[in-house]
Amino acid sequence: MPEFTSRRGLLFGAAAVSAGAVLTGCTSNESKDEGDTSGDNKQAVADDKPGKRVTIGFAGPQADHGWLNAINDQAKSRAKKYQDVTLEATEGSNDTAAQIGQVETLINKKVDVLVILPADGKALTQVGLKAMKAGIPVVNLDRIFASAQAYRCWIGGDNYGMGLNAGRYIGEKLKDKKNAKVVELAGLDNLELTKQRTKGFDDALKNYANIEKVARQAAEFTVESGQSKMSQLLQAQKGFDALWNHDDDQGVGALRAIEQAGRDDFMMVGGAGALSAFQEIKQDRGVLKATVLYPPTMAASAIDLARALGQGKGVSGMAEFEIPASLTLYSAVVDKDNVDQYMSTGFK
Amino acid sequence: MAPEPPLLTMSGITKSFPGVRALDGVDLHVQAGEVHCLLGQNGAGKSTLIKVLAGAHQPDGGTIAWRGDKVTLRSPIAAMRLGIATIYQELDLVEGLSVAENVFLGHEPTTAGFMVRGRAARTATGALLKRLGHGEIDPARLVGDLSAAQQQIVSMARALSHEVRLIVMDEPSAALDPDEVDNLFRIVADLTADGVAVVHISHRLEEIRRIGDRVTVLKDGRAVAVGLPADSTPTREVIALMTGRNVEYVFPERAEPAATPSGAGPSDAGPSGAGPSGAGLSGAGLSGAGPADVAPPVQPVPPVLAVQGLARDGEFEPLDLELRPGEIVGLAGLVGSGRSEILETIFGARKPTRGRVSLDGRVLRPGSVRAAVRAGIGLAPEERKAQALLMLESVTRNVSVSSLSRFSYGGWVDRGKELRAAREATRELSLRPDNPAVPVRTLSGGNQQKAVLARWLLRGCRVLLLDEPTRGVDVGARAELYTVIRRLADEGLAVLLVSSEVPEVLGLADRVLVLREGRVVHTAPARDLDEHRVLDLVLASAKDGPDGPDLIEGPRGPATTEGGPAS
Amino acid sequence: MTQPASPARPVTEKSPPADGAPSPWRSLLARVDVRTLSLLGVLAVLVVIGGVTEPDAFLDTDNLQLILTQASVIGVVTVGMTFVIISGGIDLSVGAIVALASVWATTVATQEYGFAGILFTAVVVGLGCGLVNGLLIAYGGMVPFIATLAMLASGRGLALEITDGKTQMVTVDGVLKLGERDSYVLGIPPLVLVLAAVTVVGWLLLNRTTFGRRSVAVGGNAEAARLAGIDVRRQRLYLYLLSGLCCGIAAFLLIILSGSGQNTNGNLYELDAIAAAIIGGTLLSGGRGTITGSVLGVLIFTTITNIFALNNLETAVQQIAKGAIIVAAVLVQRRTATA
Repeated sequence: MPEFTSRRGLLFGAAAVSAGAVLTGCTSNESKDEGDTSGDNKQAVADDKPGKRVTIGFAGPQADHGWLNAINDQAKSRAKKYQDVTLEATEGSNDTAAQIGQVETLINKKVDVLVILPADGKALTQVGLKAMKAGIPVVNLDRIFASAQAYRCWIGGDNYGMGLNAGRYIGEKLKDKKNAKVVELAGLDNLELTKQRTKGFDDALKNYANIEKVARQAAEFTVESGQSKMSQLLQAQKGFDALWNHDDDQGVGALRAIEQAGRDDFMMVGGAGALSAFQEIKQDRGVLKATVLYPPTMAASAIDLARALGQGKGVSGMAEFEIPASLTLYSAVVDKDNVDQYMSTGFK
Repeated sequence: MAPEPPLLTMSGITKSFPGVRALDGVDLHVQAGEVHCLLGQNGAGKSTLIKVLAGAHQPDGGTIAWRGDKVTLRSPIAAMRLGIATIYQELDLVEGLSVAENVFLGHEPTTAGFMVRGRAARTATGALLKRLGHGEIDPARLVGDLSAAQQQIVSMARALSHEVRLIVMDEPSAALDPDEVDNLFRIVADLTADGVAVVHISHRLEEIRRIGDRVTVLKDGRAVAVGLPADSTPTREVIALMTGRNVEYVFPERAEPAATPSGAGPSDAGPSGAGPSGAGLSGAGLSGAGPADVAPPVQPVPPVLAVQGLARDGEFEPLDLELRPGEIVGLAGLVGSGRSEILETIFGARKPTRGRVSLDGRVLRPGSVRAAVRAGIGLAPEERKAQALLMLESVTRNVSVSSLSRFSYGGWVDRGKELRAAREATRELSLRPDNPAVPVRTLSGGNQQKAVLARWLLRGCRVLLLDEPTRGVDVGARAELYTVIRRLADEGLAVLLVSSEVPEVLGLADRVLVLREGRVVHTAPARDLDEHRVLDLVLASAKDGPDGPDLIEGPRGPATTEGGPAS
Repeated sequence: MTQPASPARPVTEKSPPADGAPSPWRSLLARVDVRTLSLLGVLAVLVVIGGVTEPDAFLDTDNLQLILTQASVIGVVTVGMTFVIISGGIDLSVGAIVALASVWATTVATQEYGFAGILFTAVVVGLGCGLVNGLLIAYGGMVPFIATLAMLASGRGLALEITDGKTQMVTVDGVLKLGERDSYVLGIPPLVLVLAAVTVVGWLLLNRTTFGRRSVAVGGNAEAARLAGIDVRRQRLYLYLLSGLCCGIAAFLLIILSGSGQNTNGNLYELDAIAAAIIGGTLLSGGRGTITGSVLGVLIFTTITNIFALNNLETAVQQIAKGAIIVAAVLVQRRTATA
């Protein structure tokens, strides 16, 4: 997979860009920094040493899902790591109006930097603009605002790339198989990100003429819906070669359905990067062979970015003085070969 | 008659509801500028007639002419367009809207057809209220915050907000105190001076004297007198018209009151009834009051139900009452005199302010229906459909609902036993059809009432409270119901009966309590009373003296109530 | 005072036999009324559609097992909901109770007590929530809609609090095994057996016990029930307890089915259960309803979902069709009932 590595080099990857280490944020709560932290000695680059005190306001959605919960954990534990950072975290809310109110409160409190993971990106654009106008730099996490003026820096996952990498991984595994059949278990269908993931997946599969996607059903990111939809898919498709499941949370239910149906005649690729999925992959007992990351560590990185912004510094590992306006994380594929490396980032 | 056609001519209006012929060829002629009074007892058809006039009911037959032209009042809006406004007894205001919004509800002054001009509405409302002598009511206030009398005024203002030629007022004075009644009559006089006609419904005969021009009397769905002069018709003639019956009810012969030593025991009412004799009843449920309890010949029977100082503030004043097995006591009074409230309080459905109810000397927990039912009291409420029957269910289930524990073992219902018991109880009352599996909603009013009675029979109750037992029951079925009630009493039940129909109370009860405005104004054995006397008492006409009956002539009370078994 | 006359009151009861004593057969025929027949008809049509569009996947034992298994969790909830609706109430908290019971029963601490611990906790949590609902409604005088809405909110909140948004994997083998093929009894999944048992018990409870009679009476006419000497408040309390119990059982089934507990469990169960009950002929205003109808309603929904999935329809299309089918089913029933 040569193209994977080259891409990795270009993108600001959670784990792959290890040089700066500070910004990479691949580390989990326990945060055992990898050995090569020493790398950079540029000036005006954020590092672990205490600097100017920075108050970061953090507004995220309600953590009713494993991934979102991991986002909150990542942000909080990252902030705790720095003596010079004070984190003002709001109660998570899925209600747009409530979240707007929370962000406005943070603006009024005159925090130095804001990190916002909006419940709905478009709906919170105005309040992002307001913060920027008030002179508070905004780090927009994952769900992007409608206007680039509403944030100083966006950092988030790559839903299209997630589908693309899942498709490539499966494609490479099946490329020698004639008339290979693939099934997709998508996430909540009324979210744009689900459409993007499916688009990426479909685009990747187009490169393999021998592979056909024979079925797609959408679950709802919940275990229950994953079990239900997967069991129907298994009943509908008596023989297929690979399954891509968008989300490891619903994947728990999907795996349960597969187990209940007694099927093991295909390989499964997951999505997001839950700890349970990593463990399953490592043990290599069942159908789950890999998962495509949508790393919640981005929240830790966002805190790093916010700290750097607050202290007026750049980030290490880059030539520019300024922090980039936009950072798209790489959706790496984790399989048996590299799972140990990621194990600590897996969320529950 | 003047050459100009009368404002309104209703001729031969008929209207039937299932089981009831509410209007049976009624005529009503109203002239512009007059106050036309509509009189009649409860159930005479007044409300139905004005609903036809308001377009709320469609008549089955007859014609309506408006200023000489035949019209069809398809809807309340159609009536309103002609200039007929109705003020109902039950106010139909929206409490959450302001006075002005209520007044102009449905015909708001608008800009461009949809923007309500609130200020215009408030100004116009203010003018209307001032005209009604109540300029102090703020048009912007919520109607829910107003007193009953003020709401009445708002209703009136609403009627006047239309181009109105005829106003129908259903007992407008019921909620008003004397000053406000005076004001109301002044308004009525102003209106009629402007050529507006008023149809005025009232129970108060003296009001009719004061403001009425002509009187139409309704009786059992017929107009028994049309257009009598209000000032020159003697009161007694009006009362005679209201009470004179064209259907003779047949009441079973009553047993002598149990309290008197001459008690005759189970009388000869049994043979008079169509159904089987009451001897088998105890098996069906009258276990608590077997035949042995019935009126021992010499000694007074101790009362089964004793009510002491029972009162509810604002509803009825302290009441003392004793009921003996075999006795039927009647409560006579108008709607609103506290009759139903008394029954429901005895039954525990309302919590008394003070006083107590005891059965066989044991005081019942106040305000507990379950305590009353357990002790052996049963209520056949006024609103059968709303308060007693499970309309979607079969007769069996309606009858068994209060006695389920008798057919169940550990919560498990023995449906065979239930069906047999229900059949026995309903046969006892000659309920038709003789199939308790039919849905209760398919029964006639009289048979629905029997289903309610069967429920309490099955329960084995000892005191039966009957609230308007013959409401919605057609004439033919009434006699049968009377026979049943009498027989139940003869078999040892104590019955407390409420009815607006004076002959019913007089014909059925042994003893009568006359109620007015929550107070017992007279108590007497039924045989010492007649219909005129009772009506006089309940209507609280000026002649309230002890010698009242002498002032009214007419058929003697017993003549209408007697009749004896149809042998 | 009187209720506004509804244009077409659904009337289901067939006119009873004319003679006094209905034979067992006749009463059975009377019981399988127009509505039940029309539901069976709808189900038959669905089977034909499924069989024609996906002959291989739809018409086999595996799929029958699948449909029934998928129906079991929501089916148990719907039985409880049916009782509540028949009594003139509503329980919006069923989904939240299922979620709360399922996560409480799958915490690490609970799982230490094994199978019994999980089952016991699920049932007790369900009953506890039902008790709170019942007390608020029967004795606190709260409107069922509001009381259970509050329970929905706080139940979901508590479930989230317990899980912290994490999926709690079940490690108790005895529980996990019940959801797998080895545990099928004569080809019937244990979950389906539970649904069958709950259905039968529910039917008996409604049709053969004083509890059922009183529930119908309270829903048909609460005032009449009160004046007939029924303790309406206590009855209401029992009804919400029953609904809570059903949710607890359903939560246990869901734990078996998904091998986990998650705070998102039972999502929108309240609407699914209400819809199934209504399609099954339960009057939303209370006073009438059948357990068979409700369970048939659930089976219709589950079968529709199954056919959609087997035919690989998009989510959007599925949702549109589901809405249309609810409307159509109710309209058809009203027609047949009033005709």
